[in-house]
Amino acid sequence: MPPIRDKFTIHSKAVVCQDVELKGDITIGSGSIVHPKATIFAIAGPIVIGSNNIIEESAIIVNRRKEVMRIGDDNLFEIGCRIESPSIGSFNTLSTRCRVHHTVRLSSFCIIGAGVLLVPSTDQTLDEYTVVYGHSGGVGTHLADSLVGEGAGAGGAGQGQGGAAVAIETRTWSGRGKIQEADLRRKHAEYLREMLPKFNRLRRGDGM
Amino acid sequence: MPLTLQYHCSCLSSKPTPPPPHLPSSAYNFHPLHTLFFCEECDAVRCNHCVMVEVSGYYCPNCLFEVPSASVRAEKNRCARNCFLCPNCRNTLSVVPSDPPDTGDIRLSAIPVSAVGEPPFFLYCNHCRWDSAEVGITFEKPTGLAAQLQKFEDSAPESLEFERLKEHFEPFLRASSSSSPAHHPTASSHHVHTNPITAAASSAISRDVSGVAKYNPLARSRVGKDKSANKDEMPEYRSRVEIGSTSGLGGGGDVDVEFVKHLEDVSEVANLEQRWVNSWASSPRASDLKPLRIPLLSKKTKRCPTCRHILIKPEQKAQSVRYKIKLVAANYLPAIAVAVPQPSSTEVAKRSTVRSSGGGAEADKGPEGMLAGKTYPFHLSFTNPLYDPIQVRLSVQRAQYQASGEAPAPEKARRPPFAVSLPISAFPIAAFAEAWEYEDDEDMFGVEDDEMGDADVRSRDREGRSKTKTVGVLEKRANVTIVGGEVVIGKEAKGDVKFNMLVSYTYRSDDPGIDETEGTPSRTASKGPVMKTFSFYTVVDLGPIIPKEEPRPDPDL
Repeated sequence: MPPIRDKFTIHSKAVVCQDVELKGDITIGSGSIVHPKATIFAIAGPIVIGSNNIIEESAIIVNRRKEVMRIGDDNLFEIGCRIESPSIGSFNTLSTRCRVHHTVRLSSFCIIGAGVLLVPSTDQTLDEYTVVYGHSGGVGTHLADSLVGEGAGAGGAGQGQGGAAVAIETRTWSGRGKIQEADLRRKHAEYLREMLPKFNRLRRGDGM
Repeated sequence: MPLTLQYHCSCLSSKPTPPPPHLPSSAYNFHPLHTLFFCEECDAVRCNHCVMVEVSGYYCPNCLFEVPSASVRAEKNRCARNCFLCPNCRNTLSVVPSDPPDTGDIRLSAIPVSAVGEPPFFLYCNHCRWDSAEVGITFEKPTGLAAQLQKFEDSAPESLEFERLKEHFEPFLRASSSSSPAHHPTASSHHVHTNPITAAASSAISRDVSGVAKYNPLARSRVGKDKSANKDEMPEYRSRVEIGSTSGLGGGGDVDVEFVKHLEDVSEVANLEQRWVNSWASSPRASDLKPLRIPLLSKKTKRCPTCRHILIKPEQKAQSVRYKIKLVAANYLPAIAVAVPQPSSTEVAKRSTVRSSGGGAEADKGPEGMLAGKTYPFHLSFTNPLYDPIQVRLSVQRAQYQASGEAPAPEKARRPPFAVSLPISAFPIAAFAEAWEYEDDEDMFGVEDDEMGDADVRSRDREGRSKTKTVGVLEKRANVTIVGGEVVIGKEAKGDVKFNMLVSYTYRSDDPGIDETEGTPSRTASKGPVMKTFSFYTVVDLGPIIPKEEPRPDPDL
């Protein structure tokens, strides 16, 4: 396996703390905030992160595929989440301790609930405004393949197969309140941009 | 399966000894220590099955508002303020304003960072993102939502039906003497008897006298009651709506069948979990699910059943989790934890290993359970909660066993499949004190009370290697004493290793006892501290026995 060559392209307006583990070819856009103790591993392919994202502590973003992993704008990666999805849109919320497998592609305005293990065995794309919530039976349980209906506005109750105690449900958000949520996200990012540099050392990209 | 040790509560039964533990029904009598209470007057253990429970207050789990008991009934045990449950995921709903109108050409990134949001307000679930606008419920003001929803709820068909039923039964209930005096007052009742004496008196007066027509000024013409009817007869109740017309509301019938026939997606139907909260049939459509008011929870006071002494009394404030009176068994009985040390850890004679494997119930066993035919040592650690040192004595209760039906001979069926040996003599446990008050006695290992120790064990080096002695006091540290025992499992054994153990401990009580006459100082001084003994039964569960595999004939042959 060829050695991982580190190449970080961090926008001047992005706030990336010193204590972040970065590996591989990573691009971070304007206004994005990476908290300390986050981990971004571009092991096999590059990762491109858009603008105004917030990546909180203990979040792990891994790209094990050769193709580029693209993350859009204004996403929130909460504490402890583990993301391997190859394509993520904008304004998504990936809640605390969720896991998103590399088979899932997120569009925009999706919300993956706290603790949800979204690990289907077939490739899937989550439509806009999809909300996935519920609780998995335990570490390592897997969802059934029939997670999301393809039609717009359809949601299905995904139940585990066999003996796995999974109760993950999916539904579609009506989109009401998205402007307020976007506004809140922006205020969140602004506050962090102001506060984090006061208490953490920042890492600058090599070559801008 | 983790090792457990549970305490026996006799629950006021006449037999003090517990039932044999291998019977499945005897699990009812055994409880973990943290669920038990202790009554000081009766000097007895009480459990949740035998205590008297009273409600000491109602509160809403969301807004933590203490609801006075009068309003509880009026509000049907729900919160009267803005607390609602999401019908989809049963999370709490929050009141949010709507977005500003989207004129279409405003890009999300161009919105200025300022306060947005305007009425109308609606309920919104943060977990599943359900909002009440989906069912058409919006509010003009963000407060007093319950009042705004009140008219909505009152016009629901089931509550109208209930009101009509109440009105129908009202005169019969008042007339009969068996009705409870505190039956709920309706708007039109004038003589609600709050006193059972007056209720009995009034029923005696209104009893039928033969030959005289019954005079009842409260006849309801709507229901068409006969004036001279016997009060036990009731006219037929005509319901407000025909049963068939509840068809669209989940009562079965054509409308529901049509709905199910034209289902396109299973998510259109409301879940069972979302619907069974109501005690009546509700519409099966998921789009008809309404936000529910949050049910109130109650704070309970627990009393001893015999002496009515209060055992548990919570504080009045809803947000406080403490108790005014807290007589829990953990403050009186020693806490016992059982552990089975791994054979590999016995080689390592480090003190830290001794502590970690003996201190708690470690579930670190290689094979699940114990192999038949082998001998296993186990540790019991006793923690003394009293401020005085205690002397503990253990004894194993012999139990009758019956084999599972394939017993070869009756006499063999009576023998328990395992034998337990425990230290017989009493061992002391130091008093509970603050951590800094204990002397530094980590090197002290109890070497007395060594009844069952082997001779070669005694001859071995005693300092440092505590694991070589399996039965007896192993360690004494602060207010914890670790005692070792052994269980020998028979070759033909099956089932779980469970045995009842009687624990009696003796402690000094400074209570001089009740003296009717005020004795002279010399007499009261002679009472002095008394040694009291308390005993209780426990059941020790060491896990399942892995039976020896019998050579089976090969089914393929």
